[in-house]
Amino acid sequence: MDAFGSYLRERREARRASDRSYSLRQLATRVGIEPSYLSRIERGAESPPSEATIRRLAAELEEDEDVLLALAGKVSSDLQDAIRRRPALFAQLIRQLAELPDHAVLRLVREVRDGDW
Amino acid sequence: MIELRADQMVFTFPEVHAEAALHLDFQRTLRIPDDGKSYPLPPGLGRFPLTHVDDHAAAVPASWVERGGVMMPMFQAEAMWISFQSPSVDDRASYPFLVKIATGKINAVTGEEWRDGANRDPQDYLVVPTQPWLDGYCVEKGKIRQFVAMPLGAGFSAEEQLTGKGEWGGVQVEVYPMKRDVFERRFPKRPPSDRRERLSEMMFGALSAPCAMDAEEDECAASMGLAPGGSMEQEIYDDPFDLADWDLRQRSRCFVHLTNSMVWRAITGSEPPTTPPTAAEYESAGLPWFDWYSEAKAVAGSEKLAGLKSVKEMGKEKGTPALPENQSVTPKNVVTLKGTMVKGQVREW
Repeated sequence: MDAFGSYLRERREARRASDRSYSLRQLATRVGIEPSYLSRIERGAESPPSEATIRRLAAELEEDEDVLLALAGKVSSDLQDAIRRRPALFAQLIRQLAELPDHAVLRLVREVRDGDW
Repeated sequence: MIELRADQMVFTFPEVHAEAALHLDFQRTLRIPDDGKSYPLPPGLGRFPLTHVDDHAAAVPASWVERGGVMMPMFQAEAMWISFQSPSVDDRASYPFLVKIATGKINAVTGEEWRDGANRDPQDYLVVPTQPWLDGYCVEKGKIRQFVAMPLGAGFSAEEQLTGKGEWGGVQVEVYPMKRDVFERRFPKRPPSDRRERLSEMMFGALSAPCAMDAEEDECAASMGLAPGGSMEQEIYDDPFDLADWDLRQRSRCFVHLTNSMVWRAITGSEPPTTPPTAAEYESAGLPWFDWYSEAKAVAGSEKLAGLKSVKEMGKEKGTPALPENQSVTPKNVVTLKGTMVKGQVREW
């Protein structure tokens, strides 16, 4: 069983424990795929689905879509575009940040600035 | 701290809880008729775009840069509502937040002038997730008057009606999280499943590539203020917790500047959203209106806010019709949403 499939199943089952709309069938219908296909993905018998389907699954399960994409071995297309537009700059940035602990990286996230009012 | 993600303001408090996050966005909607009738909740037609004021510092009034925050475009007489969401923490509960909303620095719940901090008597804030959205000014128990954008300086806004001045405009938001120890006591952890640990284990196995990080005129003519529009049925819920449960040392606040949509184009170079349908057009298409059912207790309305003149009344007083159209409708398709929002329950159309 692969990491993406098993994580997906675990999160779905956790939600199903309190909400029956997270059955395999109902979730698959909501994200627009066949229940049998979702079942095979969860069992690792099928490669992870498309980026768009992963995004819909993330939205349904309230999971971070970048994390789910990464588990599927993918990087979000908007991030790929950002890197392609300025490859040298982003390659350098990512390499420099790769080993930093989370709290140090968090400080680099752009904040909305509060002023005087 | 506050970040902008896909036109949503995300308030996080990593020093309180790593997963404490409040998502807030401004929803486009139709303006309900200002005809003395009380309407159900109109739909959400998507988020208004938001951008950092600092990104357009050279093109906006100096006072906007001084106040900081974000800006969004609204057409004159366009309406909006505010959506609040707090994702579930460890599958046990949404992290609770205390949220204060003001327009032109007039509190939307009490009608009082802005002051930092939270007050219980009368309650001058909302509690999320109990309150999933706010559509207007709390004028009486179970009734609000819709937020409608009008040019600042024209005399329509709640701020101008109550203070006689059009100094601030925009929307002000202040957020406080629940204290961490209170959250742990009120919403105890479910054993065992340490999800974060499990995720991190899996990520190491799955990722061969490094994990990518986030890439990233005249002042009065540009500024809009919010004014009270038509009446709507919406309750502002009483705080189910104690005032001492809130971590009032952890404050995060933001000034949201409202830009006339035509000026937005000149400032940002991007197109504002199109104008929403009228209530009559929406109703004739048979689309749904909404009602929110909750057993939570509602707060009383504000006498100050109840005394405000609506955009239509004010226009009549000034002798200038202020609304492009105001046709009454009788909503036939009203969908009731219940309790805590679950998947599939949306107020967007």
